Amino acid sequence: VSDLTTRETVMPGTAPGEDLLLEVTGDGDFQTADMQLSIGPAHPATHGVLRIIVELDGERIVKATPVIGYMHRGFEKLAEHRDYRQIMALVNRHDWLSGFCNEVGVALAVEKMMEMEVPERAEWIRMLIFEWNRILNHLMFVGSFALELGAITPMFHAFREREDIQYLLESATGGRLHFTYNQVGGLKQDLPKGFLAESRRLVDVLRKRLVDYDDLVLGNEIFHARTKGVGALPQDVATSFGVSGPILQATGIPEDSRVTEPYLRYGELDSIEVPVGENGDSYDRFYCLLNRIRVSVDIIDEIHDRIPAGPVNVRLPKVVKAPEGATYVRTENPLGQLGYYLVSDGKKTPWRLKMRTPSFSNVAMVPYLLDGVLLPDLIAVLGSVFFVVGDVDR
Amino acid sequence: VTSPILAYDFFDCLFGIDAREEGFDVVAVLYSTSTGNRMMPAHALPRWARGADLPDLTGVYRGADWHERETWDMFGIEFTDHPASSPASSPRRTSRASRCARTSTSPRAWPSPGPVVKEPAELDEDGNVIERVPRIGDAPGPYELDKAMAEQAKLANPAPETPRPRPRRSRGRSPSPRPRARTSPRPSIDQATYDALIAEGKSERIARSKAKAAFVKKQRQQAADDASDQAAETESGQAVEQDAERAEVAEDSGQVLSGDVEQQAEEAETQATEAAEAGRGAGGVRAAGGRRGAGRGRRGSVRGGGVRDRQGGDQAPRGGRGARPQGRGAGPIDAEQDDDASDQREGEEDA
Repeated sequence: VSDLTTRETVMPGTAPGEDLLLEVTGDGDFQTADMQLSIGPAHPATHGVLRIIVELDGERIVKATPVIGYMHRGFEKLAEHRDYRQIMALVNRHDWLSGFCNEVGVALAVEKMMEMEVPERAEWIRMLIFEWNRILNHLMFVGSFALELGAITPMFHAFREREDIQYLLESATGGRLHFTYNQVGGLKQDLPKGFLAESRRLVDVLRKRLVDYDDLVLGNEIFHARTKGVGALPQDVATSFGVSGPILQATGIPEDSRVTEPYLRYGELDSIEVPVGENGDSYDRFYCLLNRIRVSVDIIDEIHDRIPAGPVNVRLPKVVKAPEGATYVRTENPLGQLGYYLVSDGKKTPWRLKMRTPSFSNVAMVPYLLDGVLLPDLIAVLGSVFFVVGDVDR
Repeated sequence: VTSPILAYDFFDCLFGIDAREEGFDVVAVLYSTSTGNRMMPAHALPRWARGADLPDLTGVYRGADWHERETWDMFGIEFTDHPASSPASSPRRTSRASRCARTSTSPRAWPSPGPVVKEPAELDEDGNVIERVPRIGDAPGPYELDKAMAEQAKLANPAPETPRPRPRRSRGRSPSPRPRARTSPRPSIDQATYDALIAEGKSERIARSKAKAAFVKKQRQQAADDASDQAAETESGQAVEQDAERAEVAEDSGQVLSGDVEQQAEEAETQATEAAEAGRGAGGVRAAGGRRGAGRGRRGSVRGGGVRDRQGGDQAPRGGRGARPQGRGAGPIDAEQDDDASDQREGEEDA
């Protein structure tokens, strides 16, 4: 039994400016057995079938080990046996919250290898729907993160907006989740009549409601208490893990493929603001997520005025064959940087299609974040590392 | 882990590619957040080696851990000193997997190179190596031998003549005659016309259709001749019922009313009209007209007595045509001729 007369003051949180002091009784020699707790694979906070084995010392996590692969569907192997038209329908399923963005990645890779000239209108429409899909994705995480912290209301708000956007995209693509609107060389069809007017209306609606989100979540005192200083991530660790998207931006690195490596017509836009955080904690991650919605809304507003007229696709041969070679295409997906490394041997199916998904790298970083946090903070950390389990496992 | 200061600080990904005969390529994608450059160093591995000398990148990039693990899972490529490679940390890392390899999935197919034993080369008189590509027939393999033996056995024991098996009947039911189809699926053609047209150089399709038309025409002519012969035999006084019956027969058998029968039918029609005007139903005398009207009604014609028969608003249900109001545009006789003409067309179709 340790000496219970000594007292020590420790700072549990790593946040700057936090004054929460904790008095620990005893000299620290009090031996307790570590406890191993398995969270998931069916835990609601893990957003799917992710399992995390945590070793606990009291309430503090000593070691966390994510176990992935429960949802491995072999997409990379499957893609080797599908032609490019079928791959479009395949890739919008690994990250089901950003199906359109995945399609664009594959389409860009194949078009790059075929040196294909894509009509200008198709590229602008791709950007438009890309950004709408980003908002769809982010709204989902706005709702779910707040829900995991105990706030139910933002979920309803987020899903109200999601429903409107899904209805809009359904009018053009026919899908609400798996759009399959792209094809090599453009889009399947043009936008329906009245799409842009409805899109403009939604932009106005969303601008007004983003203020509500700020008030509801970011201005919430409980939200501050739960997220500030929890799960801080240094910059060098973030880049070393290959973390991207809002999590990387929360650490203060303004890395965004739309700005640094513009694809489609992002380079022609006036400016793309990249929101950054300060110390990469859960609050900053959520702040970046919310502000990325605002940036996307601005981009969409600009695209409305700049969509040119013209065709939306090119005439394709019956069998699309990428010439022999390899290429790497990176797009700024909602969850981070998505890369497709396409190796073709000149046949109608790829020789290898490596999917570098953002969630895989982001979840690989989770053990670092969870090291030493309290168990209740696990939810706050895990909810702010925005990932889709299908995107982790592929 | 002391993090070194790196120009390429962003670890994008690491993966394997099956490079066929060359083995495997292990590609790492690195990116620089400060300069925006990207580098993709690749390391080629012989297929049999599977990473015997491939160092682990986890010490430099923390993110390499999971990517290397995935590469091991998919291609069986091992990284020395990988944190998960010690058996204590993961007992399942004992077998070599290659799920994503495209060619051979078995590591045994790629043994480590050792002393290779070769057959002594065959030399000619000058000492040059004779290159021999084995061809089929050089030496009888087991398959060729089997074939030859089977041939011989067939010659020695010729198979007995077996009678053709009779077509099996359906069990349980007595063979009942099927109703004969009204139209034959393959209509007969007039062979002489067909041959003549083919000789002219017409295409087979045209010749066949014309020969078919000729055949139908000939049959119709024959039917008309038969009918006129029979009509000549009958006496005109009692003709009405018989004619009507014959007309029925002719219609049912798909043949055409002869001109003679038409004539008689016209007469009967006139009589029937008079009878109807006299206020009596046509009765048995008008049976024929009624039947035919009904028949036409069945085919959907809106003309004639049949329609009114179906409507049931007639004074004389069976002799419908007799009750036709006189105010209609066409007189009964004209109408009857018209009907017969349409019958003729229908007869053609049936034929």
